Amino acid sequence: MDSDLVKANLNLYAVLKNLEDLCEYDKEMKDLISSWNISIQFIVRNGPSAFLHFSRGKCEVARGSMKNPSIVLFFISPSHLNRMFDGKANPIPFKGFTKLGFLSKEFPRLTDRLSYYLRPTDELIKNNDYFKMNTRLTLNTAAFSIPEIAAFDSTGIKISSKIPDGTVVMRILPGFHSASITFSGGAASAQKGDTENPMAVMEMKNLEVAGDFLNGRSDPFTAIASGDVSIMGLIPMLDNMSILLDRVQHYLS
Amino acid sequence: MKTFKYSASQKLFKRAASVIPCGIYGHYSPAPLVPASSYPFYTVSAKGSRFRDIDGNEFIDYMCAYGPMVTGYGNRKVDDAARKQASQGNCVTGVPPVMVELAEYMTDLVDSADWAFFAKNGGDVTNYAVMISRAATGRNKIIMVSGGYHGVSSWMQGDGHYGVSDDDKKNVLVVKWNDIAGFEKTVRENSGSVACFISSPYHHPVFADNEFPAPGYWQKIEEICRREGILIITDDIRAGFRLDMRGSDRYFGYKSDLTCFCKAMANGYPISALTGTEELKSTAAKVFYTGSYWFSAEPMAAALANLKEMSKIKAPGIMLKTGKKLLDGLVSIASSYGYDLKVSGAPSMPYLRITNDPSLMLHQDWCGECTRRGAYFTSHHNWFLSTAHTEKDIKQTWNIADDAFKAVKRKYGDRF
Repeated sequence: MDSDLVKANLNLYAVLKNLEDLCEYDKEMKDLISSWNISIQFIVRNGPSAFLHFSRGKCEVARGSMKNPSIVLFFISPSHLNRMFDGKANPIPFKGFTKLGFLSKEFPRLTDRLSYYLRPTDELIKNNDYFKMNTRLTLNTAAFSIPEIAAFDSTGIKISSKIPDGTVVMRILPGFHSASITFSGGAASAQKGDTENPMAVMEMKNLEVAGDFLNGRSDPFTAIASGDVSIMGLIPMLDNMSILLDRVQHYLS
Repeated sequence: MKTFKYSASQKLFKRAASVIPCGIYGHYSPAPLVPASSYPFYTVSAKGSRFRDIDGNEFIDYMCAYGPMVTGYGNRKVDDAARKQASQGNCVTGVPPVMVELAEYMTDLVDSADWAFFAKNGGDVTNYAVMISRAATGRNKIIMVSGGYHGVSSWMQGDGHYGVSDDDKKNVLVVKWNDIAGFEKTVRENSGSVACFISSPYHHPVFADNEFPAPGYWQKIEEICRREGILIITDDIRAGFRLDMRGSDRYFGYKSDLTCFCKAMANGYPISALTGTEELKSTAAKVFYTGSYWFSAEPMAAALANLKEMSKIKAPGIMLKTGKKLLDGLVSIASSYGYDLKVSGAPSMPYLRITNDPSLMLHQDWCGECTRRGAYFTSHHNWFLSTAHTEKDIKQTWNIADDAFKAVKRKYGDRF
């Protein structure tokens, strides 16, 4: 297992994915991107690739490559990408030299805002708007991390091979947010939103419970026994998924 | 029908969670009880087939403390024997004579037993059995069945589980139940390095239908093991004495080299046993294995009394018959609501599942509704019958099940 590769996948497919919701639910960021019509392709040698596309006030983050991106950012290795996410390295622009101003001034406002929401402090979470956004993005990060852990982490591969096919839904009640993870043949895929006929469900009864639960501030067993978190369906799917989720912290702190 | 509330259970759980890891740990954890709000957590008294929780609710118990209760809570014969021994001494310097009496009784009772060794929990003796098999064969590897459970030692737990390293699992080979070709292939690929095959006599995983051995399965496994010098360890901790007093290997027509007993031995008094063949006795003697309370006399006296009583009344037959009657009724009631209640495993320790909903959510709701009405059903684990379950219990359980089916029908309508 190459831990840099796993981390690069998590950064690109789970962390960066949050830009979509950030641009939708944070008014300042929504305003910031409202006039953007630009796309950024991330290419990592011997690693993952993904692109961002800003258009008509929306942000889309997707795996793979797009045709004719405005900007191409190249990374010589997964480690290079990870260092950039940690603020310790810069990408190599391959295309879009005329957009360097965008990259150095406008785009960092977005990524800085993402970092802000993903690094909660005791003080910050007292702010209700911050707490809401942090909880939403944490659920997304968890859901979109699972396919990467299942595919690239050596323990994750063993565990996911035992998870039966079907979809697990994680819901924050009442109707605040949800994410679905579908397992098939040992592989996993994630999407935001609910699904019909899930095989297992985890419901957090409110935003406060979800924030504590997802950020590891509450004990899962106690939360379940007390009814703050309800689980139902094929519980082994949730048990195994929980082990996959706990693997994330080996890569992302 | 009145449904139960559990405010005192919840209140005590909150206190527990502050001083005990996860409040209630292990197999008593509320986590697989779905929904947890339908279940009591704390029991204050028990008698016969029933227990009463801290909120004062009474339940007909179909988990029997996850197996140890077998001849009824507060069984007078067992408790009298235990009390008498305790009054003479329990955990004292020197070995209690009752230990010899119990070993003699078990070697007479269990077909494959030439000797008996006593400990406390099932995991004590599954570990010991594996150590003996390694010492006897000079080999390291263990074959087990996927989904099998043999205790909480790190070699037994799942990949990636907390506190388990890859090294802990490196000598554990996993095969599928009833898959003779897979077993042969595993043995061939590890020729000369497999010490034992550890398995329950029939497959009773959680969250899945239980499976009996296919015709000829154990006989073929036995043939391969004898040919390859692999010892057969029967984990009879759950099924032992609920199928056959002579051991479940006898029930399924094979001979175990080492057999692990625990749950049904002493009607709740803490004791487990490993029995084995004469050929392994001297190796067993060489493997150093012990525990502070393994010579306690009270559980030995209880086990002796309980096993004698079970033999006298032919307990497995009673439990199988009672279980069958209960289950036939439940299946019929389920059918009247359009539900297919599938029963698998032995009627004395059945696993049930409503097949209409593969996610188990419907089944979980029904088990929860039954429990809230006084029939303690789990949805993830096989149940346990005892000789204390009565005709009255069964009839009351059917009434409860019927009302619970009405409740889930109201919730789900014609969705399933």
